[in-house]
Amino acid sequence: MTSAQDELYSEAAQTYGEALERLARAYEADADLGRDLVQEIHVALWRSFDGFDGRCSLRTWIYRVAHNVGASHVLRQRRTRGQELVGLEELENLADTNSGQSAADRGHALDRLLGLIQRLKPLDRHVILSYLEGLDAASIGEITGLSARNVATKIHRIKNMLARQFQQGGSES
Amino acid sequence: MMEVENPAQKIWQDQPVEGIKMSAEIIQKRAAKFERRIMWRNVREYVASLIAAALFGYFFVTAHDVLSRVTFGLFIGAMLWIVVQLHRKGSATSLPRGVDTLTSLRLYRGELERQRAVVRNVWSWYLAPLLPGFVVYTIGYAIRFQRPSAWAGLALMDAIVAGLFVVVWKMNMRAARCLQRMIDDLNAVE
Repeated sequence: MTSAQDELYSEAAQTYGEALERLARAYEADADLGRDLVQEIHVALWRSFDGFDGRCSLRTWIYRVAHNVGASHVLRQRRTRGQELVGLEELENLADTNSGQSAADRGHALDRLLGLIQRLKPLDRHVILSYLEGLDAASIGEITGLSARNVATKIHRIKNMLARQFQQGGSES
Repeated sequence: MMEVENPAQKIWQDQPVEGIKMSAEIIQKRAAKFERRIMWRNVREYVASLIAAALFGYFFVTAHDVLSRVTFGLFIGAMLWIVVQLHRKGSATSLPRGVDTLTSLRLYRGELERQRAVVRNVWSWYLAPLLPGFVVYTIGYAIRFQRPSAWAGLALMDAIVAGLFVVVWKMNMRAARCLQRMIDDLNAVE
């Protein structure tokens, strides 16, 4: 273990600890398994800093490692739970069919948001999570490897879907 | 860092978190456990073949006739060949960390496809190299013990070996199907 590795990890845990918890929640609905996933992400981050070469920003590196751990978790869980995942386009349509329900039926806003996110395929899940965390399109492209145009299209879809769900449909929490 | 332009972003960013912290000690323990698991996985791949090669080496040295020496020499060669092939083809590789998601998914799929090719071709790199040793052993035994009861025993032994070959082949085909399902899963979620 090197001190640089430790320092990078400390900075990551301190600055992005809360974001990593939110991210884990988007990849695992069960609270206990979610805590395990947070710990798995922390260990992966600490190990990854041994090879951090500074060719991308620390933030990009952290989100890449964390999302990749999350995606692996989703793939593992999908094999055991057999859960079907959808893309943003399909989710838009599914979300539309739910928008006619009353606000009370749809439960709390955060639960609804998590419900939407947890149905998404890993790559689209990365995009929506990064958007919700307030990252710009260029950063999202850097984290996911998607082209700027592709990211812009996906963000457009996300904004439309979220607007329908959380503005027109009421944003009770 | 965080910009809020959409109510959903506020809902997301304002959600309560537990503030999970991990001590350096726990992280190091977990990382060490992970490294040990990887190390043992790689070690297991070679140990069985090397033990078998050592055993055949002993038989080779203590053998009294040429055919026995040729037999055990062929087995030793086969075992060493298998170890080399395991190292070249079969070793589980660690995927690079910190790469973007698309690259990560592609590398992971590439690794699964590589592993699938290895288990699908188990005949060529694992089973076939062992065959010459068994053939020479059978011929040598049949020449040395020319009586029906010995040949019957030999036939039984060859049948058992053939059965083991089929079992190994079927296990690898099952592993290939499992890897194919993982690849299909990956294609479905990309």
